[in-house]
Amino acid sequence: MTQADFEQVKEIIIAGRHKEIESVVTDLIAGGVDLHELINYGMIAAMDVVGQRFARHEIFVPEMLVSALTMQKGLGLIKPLLKGDQTQTKATVVLCTVKGDIHDIGKNLVGMMLEGGGFRVIDLGVNLSVEQLISQLKEIRPQVLGLSALLTTTMPEMGKVIEALDAEGLRKSIKVMVGGAPVDKRFADSIGADGYGADAAEAVRLARQFVE
Amino acid sequence: MKSTSHNLVMSAIYGGRKAQRPPAGNPTSIVCHGLMDACGVTFPEAHLNPEAMAELALAGHEIIGFDTVMPEYSVHQESAALGCEVDWGDRNTMPDSKTSPYADFSDIEVPENILEKPSMRVVLDALSILRRHVGDKVAILGKVMGPWTLSYHMAGTQNFLLHVGLGEEDKIIKMMRQLMPVTIEFAKAQFRAGADVVCLADHVTGDLASPKHYEKLLLPLHKEITQEIGGPLILHVCGNCNDRLELFASAGFDAYHFEWQMGPKNVVDRIGNKISLVGCINNPRTLYQGTPEDAFTQAREAIEAGVHIIGPECAIPLATPLENLKAIVEAVRQGY
Repeated sequence: MTQADFEQVKEIIIAGRHKEIESVVTDLIAGGVDLHELINYGMIAAMDVVGQRFARHEIFVPEMLVSALTMQKGLGLIKPLLKGDQTQTKATVVLCTVKGDIHDIGKNLVGMMLEGGGFRVIDLGVNLSVEQLISQLKEIRPQVLGLSALLTTTMPEMGKVIEALDAEGLRKSIKVMVGGAPVDKRFADSIGADGYGADAAEAVRLARQFVE
Repeated sequence: MKSTSHNLVMSAIYGGRKAQRPPAGNPTSIVCHGLMDACGVTFPEAHLNPEAMAELALAGHEIIGFDTVMPEYSVHQESAALGCEVDWGDRNTMPDSKTSPYADFSDIEVPENILEKPSMRVVLDALSILRRHVGDKVAILGKVMGPWTLSYHMAGTQNFLLHVGLGEEDKIIKMMRQLMPVTIEFAKAQFRAGADVVCLADHVTGDLASPKHYEKLLLPLHKEITQEIGGPLILHVCGNCNDRLELFASAGFDAYHFEWQMGPKNVVDRIGNKISLVGCINNPRTLYQGTPEDAFTQAREAIEAGVHIIGPECAIPLATPLENLKAIVEAVRQGY
């Protein structure tokens, strides 16, 4: 397997050529590709570039969604072939949009990028109360929690989640990152979050920092 | 001769002419808990009952001192009439659509009597109540959703944007063309009911779509809509739209309602001679988390930059302190 094969997968994902990815990945698997190398040098590398281009406003959400769709199609062929302890996930990240807020595109993109970045992602959905979230976190025990809010009206819920993590004794074991249109670093600092990501690529960078 | 609030707003809308002072205006909602408490009307009643809707809008003028009254607080009046299941929320939560009935991009069935659907009728009746009450002393603003935003509601935002990314232009344009008559008819009906100006919100915002998408897919429709409606229109697109300002200014709208993050001077310098400008006091940091002094300072900066109508950049958070809104009024009353 050559670097050119990985480059081909990378280019297909970056360009969002979703109709091509499955046949290319199928051929690579049949040729005995190292699945982890394919994920790392083909898929994760591609989504890194996609994230950088998004941050530079060279591409927008529609293009990013198509790249993510392309990556997911390829990943869908690889995942069943990976055995439990060989998945080599970096860590588990739980994502949700906070109570009162049903907006989820940003959160979904973060989830796709994290998955592309080698994390195990558990998306708990939207409009999640503090109580529901804490209950899930106790069960899942993730290393990272990502909270999203699009509305200024729902931003304060993020602070309530962090307070509840403290109260439940979970805060030290879970790094919290926050994001969403009205959220900024000052707000993240004010509620005691560990990090703020302006976009999905920054969320992946933060998550990597947290677990390295 | 002293100008009325109505004169100040209309002068600013028509070519950004200066009157005695800049007006304070809100194409989107300025409802907060303090305003609800002050007038005794709350959500969700004010989304559903025309008297309550008008009463709350009037409070924006009588209690805060804005030069406009705007009685539509949600973005879901049309989507409810088109078949979305809408949760009208409560005192602390804005309405939200729970379903996307045309996720498969099938033909939109626009009801023949759509203007008589409760979620549409309530706005028209509230505008008429306001017209009877304020006459021509205060500018009455209406609000409609454009075909891009309506498509978000019909197909689901992520699904719609994915199809944009997939290059499914036929589907995208067909859906928007089927929705465009709803935008046009609702706007015309609002003018007939008593609106002086109508805000057309169409969220083709930075990040969510590129300027090329706007130019190719939506700008031609905006040009048709502005020609067809005829009355004065304010385009509202939130988010960072620095890369498409000139395109907005070419679409035929009379004014553009924009966010602080683009920089008022930058926006005025680039398109202020082509289109009137409305905004642009920052919501999350200044109005929600800031002080009256912060809001006053930012409003003065917007006035000095040449923004024609001063107000929040978008619908404000419900927990915004009332005093921060009053500080905007204080700033405009100091004149130019």
